[in-house]
Amino acid sequence: MASSSRSSRRRSAATILILLVFVAVFVVRLVDIQVVRAETLSADSLGNRSVEQPVYGARGDIVDTNGVVLAGTVMRYDITLSPRNAAEFDRTTDDGDVTVTVAQAAAEVGALTGQTGDEILQIISGSLAADKDSDYAVVVRAVDVSVFRAIDKLDIPWMYAEKNPGRVYPDGAVAGNLVGFVSSGGEAQAGIELGQDACLASTNGTETYEKGADGVRLPQSTVTTVRAKDGGDVVTTIDSDLQWFVQQVLAEQAVATGAAWGNVVVQEVKTGKLVAVADYPSVDPNNVNGTPDAEDRGSRAFTAPFEPGSTYKALTTASVLDAGAATPLSRVVAPYRYLPPNGANVNDSSNHADLNLTLTGVMIESSNTGMSKFGELISDQQRYDYMSKFGVGSASESGFLAEESGTLRPFEDWDNQTKYATMFGQGLTTTAIQVSSIYQTLANNGVRMPVQLVAGCRHADGSMTDVPEAVGTPVVSAAAARETADILEMVYQKAWLAKTWEIPGYRVGAKTGTAQMPDGRGGYTKGYLVSVSGFAPGDDPQYVVSVSLADPVKLNSSAASAPIFQEVMSQVLKKYRAVPSGATAPALPGTW
Amino acid sequence: MSDNLARAPRPNWESTPDTASVPEPRHIEIVSPRSQRHARPKIVYALSAVTGVAAIVLAQLLLSVGISQSAYEVSRLQASQVELGRTAESVTEDLVRVSSPQSLAANAEALGMVSNSNPVYLRLSDAAVLGAPASASGSSAGTASLVPNSLLVGVPLVTELPQTTGQGASLGGSQAEVPAAVAPVAPAAEPNALPTPTTR
Repeated sequence: MASSSRSSRRRSAATILILLVFVAVFVVRLVDIQVVRAETLSADSLGNRSVEQPVYGARGDIVDTNGVVLAGTVMRYDITLSPRNAAEFDRTTDDGDVTVTVAQAAAEVGALTGQTGDEILQIISGSLAADKDSDYAVVVRAVDVSVFRAIDKLDIPWMYAEKNPGRVYPDGAVAGNLVGFVSSGGEAQAGIELGQDACLASTNGTETYEKGADGVRLPQSTVTTVRAKDGGDVVTTIDSDLQWFVQQVLAEQAVATGAAWGNVVVQEVKTGKLVAVADYPSVDPNNVNGTPDAEDRGSRAFTAPFEPGSTYKALTTASVLDAGAATPLSRVVAPYRYLPPNGANVNDSSNHADLNLTLTGVMIESSNTGMSKFGELISDQQRYDYMSKFGVGSASESGFLAEESGTLRPFEDWDNQTKYATMFGQGLTTTAIQVSSIYQTLANNGVRMPVQLVAGCRHADGSMTDVPEAVGTPVVSAAAARETADILEMVYQKAWLAKTWEIPGYRVGAKTGTAQMPDGRGGYTKGYLVSVSGFAPGDDPQYVVSVSLADPVKLNSSAASAPIFQEVMSQVLKKYRAVPSGATAPALPGTW
Repeated sequence: MSDNLARAPRPNWESTPDTASVPEPRHIEIVSPRSQRHARPKIVYALSAVTGVAAIVLAQLLLSVGISQSAYEVSRLQASQVELGRTAESVTEDLVRVSSPQSLAANAEALGMVSNSNPVYLRLSDAAVLGAPASASGSSAGTASLVPNSLLVGVPLVTELPQTTGQGASLGGSQAEVPAAVAPVAPAAEPNALPTPTTR
């Protein structure tokens, strides 16, 4: 009796002990799973179900001064598939369920994306060959909404679409030279796109969603992990309508005269804003490969300095007048060939007898010898200082990517010929923008305004940053600037192209230039760079138009560029409602 | 009743009738003790409690049905919002494309318009003509677009659109439907306006 009760007690003790051990094991396991390894395990489990994908922030727009979009972001879709899940599936149609094979599905998609069914099958098999568990392969990138919808309608369970914002340039080549373009991957490549990338760039976010065992996305499981941030808009000073007109006129004349390249700059006199900068040839940013030569894809107005030639004489005239060394009526005798004492050799473009010219007359006749006799009235250093103040030799304030500064060597380094050549725009180089800026200064009473291409970066809340300063710097006195402008008005009236560039009713000041083009080896080519720069209306100048055409083989003189000046200036005056005053410019005699 | 409550009225002994003198029938009733009375709640309480619980359960059920119904509605509307957003984007894209200068110029030219950049002004105050009027020549800028826009490839001009009478189907198509009811109204004379001859 006693032994049986002891054995039963021992049994129950053993049972309790075993139970305790079991409980202890479970508790340890529980703590291990729920506390010690909790994070790793839940991350693993989520990782098995969840998929992380980027959410794209929209890159900012580039707009013109009126808000017309020059470069915008549109939503495009990348079509992707899961190779390991690619299998036949049932599709519910009006005639009941139909089984669709992979090949059929591939052919259907291919018909929409412009691929063949085999190409899509190859994407699947190629991806599986690289990794037999492959869950991701891109079928086609950047299809638009209609294609995306059509593919969506096919209801292929292993095919997905991912958003991928694309870049579109609604106005095509209008301002394409300035706007630049982005690569297919969305990387900024050129122009404002690259130069203002800091403003335009967006930050991508990520979102996570969960998917079931069959790869189907679970509804309502999307979690935004990192919010995407849209980029700011770059507001330019360009007017897209005028820009189009100018590009059209330039291209027409450039084709007609067989020019290698050319550009037209339209600048606002009072503010220094560039309202149009046209280049020929130019690029359509929607189709960059349509412009094979990389040099034609940018803006030569900013990046290709040239020897300006006679348009530069306006600067020399203003310098001499401002220094008080001459007046518009000061007299010289301009020979065909002038041999200054320092050994230089200055010629006019065509043979002529000695001419009794005033400073005004020298400009009308565009006499190099006459200009040399006026230029030597002030020192080289004075002239150099004036040039620097006019912005020659330093890149403008426009902030355009890779803008050239041109070449202006210090006056101490000028040789005897260069000392004279720099008076009529040879022996130094300027960009078209710099030439325009010189005329802007002269038309604006001698006050040079910073060249503006970008008016600022506009953020989502409407605030503007990076607004350039618009404080002018006086270069020459108002009187000297006005006298130079008066001379330029006489040039417009009396020079040999007066009939070509005439805009009836308006007072205009303009000057031609025909400069030899350097061949890059220290010499000159046979081609000329022909140009016209001027401003209007003469009584209260509002706009500068500066035209340059390089090597127009069919018409190798500034007669090639003058019609462009006439048409563009007319359009500018009409567009901005500059009413002709009907007054006549003060008459200045050119001869004595 | 502004009487002082402490001043209880003295009972009127004389007028109180002698109740003891009237014989009453004997009346015996079983009265449950106080504790028993408490222990037996009324059935109506039970009923109301059960009804209340049932009502709450029902209300909750209906609410959750309603909420999940709305959740589907919300999700459906969100999906349709996304779809409409896409439609709006793609239509805007089309609109921006056809409003590009190249498209406008080509269409204007197709309709027979000619660009004329010759600036001439008519001053209303004294009918002065400022500038030199000249008729536009068809050869000025715009005969062929030299400013390419690859987005416009394949986009037909207004003159090439099929002439349909559907409202708003094409730019030039709905002309026939514009009612002639709008009588031509003479433009109101501007201040400073020129006297204009009235033609009938």
